[in-house]
Amino acid sequence: MGLVDKGRLPAPLTKLFNMSRSYSLWVYQWGLACCAIEMGAAFGSPRYDVMRLGVIPLPASPRQADFVCVSGTVTDKMAPAVKRLWEQMPEPKYAISMGSCANCGGPYWDSYSVTKGVDQILPVDIYVPGCPPRPEALLEGIVLLQQRIKNEDMAAKWRGDEFTTLQRTRAVEAGEVDRDGELIAETHSISEDPTPDARPEPIVVGGGPIE
Amino acid sequence: MSDDTTTTEDAPAALPGDGLREGIVDDLRARIGDALVDSHIAPNDDVWVRVTTAGWRPAGEALKAAGFTYFCFLSGIDWMPSPYGKGEDDPDAEPVEPDTEIRQGVTGGETRLQVFARVTDLERHVGITIKADVDDDAPVVDSWSSLYAGANWHERECHEMFGIGFNGHPDLRNMYLPTEFEGYPLRKDFPLLARMVKPWPGIVDVEPMPAQDDEDAGAEGDSS
Amino acid sequence: MSLTDRQQLSYIASQAADARLNVELETEGMTLNIGPQHPATHGTLRIICRLDGEQVIWAEPSAGYMHRGYEKLTEVRTFPQVTTLVNRIDWLGSFANEVPFILAAEKLMEIEAPPRAQVIRTILFELSRIANVSLFLGDLGVQMGAVTPVFLAFRDREYVLNLIEGATGGRFHPNFDRIGGLKDDLPKGWIDETRQVVKKLMQFCDTIEDLLFGNEIFQSRMRGIGVIPADIAKDYGLSGPNLRASGVDWDLRRDQDLPLAWDKVDWKVWTHPDGDSWARCWIRLQETREACKIVEQLLDQIPAGPVMTKVPRIIKVPAGEAWVSTENPLGEMGYYVVSKGDLGPFRVKIRSASFNNISIVPWVLKGVYVPDVITILASLYFILGDIDR
Repeated sequence: MGLVDKGRLPAPLTKLFNMSRSYSLWVYQWGLACCAIEMGAAFGSPRYDVMRLGVIPLPASPRQADFVCVSGTVTDKMAPAVKRLWEQMPEPKYAISMGSCANCGGPYWDSYSVTKGVDQILPVDIYVPGCPPRPEALLEGIVLLQQRIKNEDMAAKWRGDEFTTLQRTRAVEAGEVDRDGELIAETHSISEDPTPDARPEPIVVGGGPIE
Repeated sequence: MSDDTTTTEDAPAALPGDGLREGIVDDLRARIGDALVDSHIAPNDDVWVRVTTAGWRPAGEALKAAGFTYFCFLSGIDWMPSPYGKGEDDPDAEPVEPDTEIRQGVTGGETRLQVFARVTDLERHVGITIKADVDDDAPVVDSWSSLYAGANWHERECHEMFGIGFNGHPDLRNMYLPTEFEGYPLRKDFPLLARMVKPWPGIVDVEPMPAQDDEDAGAEGDSS
Repeated sequence: MSLTDRQQLSYIASQAADARLNVELETEGMTLNIGPQHPATHGTLRIICRLDGEQVIWAEPSAGYMHRGYEKLTEVRTFPQVTTLVNRIDWLGSFANEVPFILAAEKLMEIEAPPRAQVIRTILFELSRIANVSLFLGDLGVQMGAVTPVFLAFRDREYVLNLIEGATGGRFHPNFDRIGGLKDDLPKGWIDETRQVVKKLMQFCDTIEDLLFGNEIFQSRMRGIGVIPADIAKDYGLSGPNLRASGVDWDLRRDQDLPLAWDKVDWKVWTHPDGDSWARCWIRLQETREACKIVEQLLDQIPAGPVMTKVPRIIKVPAGEAWVSTENPLGEMGYYVVSKGDLGPFRVKIRSASFNNISIVPWVLKGVYVPDVITILASLYFILGDIDR
């Protein structure tokens, strides 16, 4: 769509596209360790039922997926495979890092064979802390990802920029904020809508620091 | 329930006494002679023997012939105290001179590296831990892999972690680590780089809790 | 046994077909790579198979994608901190991982947990066995294309996780066992709730037996496939249900003297003479039932008293070496703990069940057909953290 490329798409239409994208997310389950079981509980068990959020946990290959949920310890031996998987996914793509190990190494922070965080090999959108996080926490992470997608400025993404919200682009165009303006990072809750220039940074479920 | 099943209802055999363990050691000594260097019996608990490096494989054969058919594990141990300490010392405290004396454990030893293995007799319900010294300069022992098939992977792991070679092993490739990995992680002189960069944050754990007096023997033993 | 003419003819015909197959369809060696990320491998195991036609002629598991360096990390942790780590070895039955390590430390310190703590330990141990094996039973169907059992398993496993969470505060990794006892006593009402849950779990076992084990497809995919004789099983150090399915009557809960409460209740060790995939799965089903029985009986016999014995605040374990192993959900899990009298262990050798169980894969996969690879791997039942540590 040439219109989107140039960032000339009318805002309501962009919102519509974003909303459709955010409610038909196909997730590739990259289950690595303990968190994989909690991810399985969130995605596969009748009690948590992720499909009601519009997330389809069934793609057979990363090539069909919209976002990947990396859950568990990434070891140095596994890291090339994770990177390969990320490259196989088509744009637009997102990543959820689930569990302390994928966030920062977790209990194996001093190990000789563990990669200290999956964000060293792929850009992470949502961090879900916990060891392992409860399935509810993963669901909140997914809801936050959907909010992030709904507010995304796709034109900026295709220009190759960092993640930018629609509101932020508008504000920059109107001259209200500098493009490198100071970013506010505050505790986020599901109930409040993201403010215009908040949260271009990756989101941490619960709002705390990752470490 | 299917018909083709058997169940066991007979009472378990009597737990092995120390007499049995002494008998096992005597039996082993009769089979391998001088290769058996030392033995130790923990009362009503366990038995250790140490054999010479050359006697490692004959001892395995003798044990298998004596009924220890179940292979439990095989691994190595590095008796040198870690030159880096445990990495959890109080950073403000006066540094203590590290203890560099090599002290071997049960049944002793003469070298820094040792291999040890455990095999079990499922009939007599008794297990035995067998140790052998490994020469520091040429850390090689004979392989058990043609004796106990399960030893194959354990020896690969041991080779990777300690750099101990096994004569006669079919395939000593790396199992866990990437092929380009350097060093032997379980040797004590292998540093954990993350710990060098960042001090152990868990030091606060061993300090007394604010509300409690620091009596030495409290009912609460946990510190996690 | 004499064959009828018809059987002889069909045998000759099949032999002739085989011979023609080799001549007319010239097969070329092919390498099939399963994993590292494949639904059938329960995690990140990679299996490299060389195929001749549809038959596996050589197979080699490539482990290490989950190697986290436990044995090194234990050397730089204190004794109470190690339980946090070892929780995560077999992540489906976490509590069971703590117990042998704590018992080894207690053996070195020459203390014993109070009777109440011993019984509660045994109950939680068996509950984690149920949590572990119930997921196996559900997952078994997925390997053969049946999706329903896994939903059932996740539903009923949630009850067990709730119980474990109620008692310990952690759904997955309780870190509840302490040197000298337990962190806490059981909460109020927990025992009654457990009784309810155990009834549901017995029903779950019945459902799975009807749905899965009674299924004709399941039986024909499992019976006679992947046979492991008893002497080979012992040679490779197989343990747990894999060993008992080969007819070896060996269960560490019964056959050794541990300060835990299995000798106080009436239960059975199941063995099966066949040694095939079916036997391994069937033994696990029976063990889930036995675990329910053990829990049910132990709930009536929890003695009064403290759950923690007197231990120093800062735990220093006397120098020595101790080996303790228990019959974990996956098999024999043991810790060889060497202490030098410090705050932390000098060396811990972790003997995990899956490492030995999976080392038989090159032997057992030789000559099987490709679809059977998946069922054999499923029936051997391994957890990646337990292989690689």
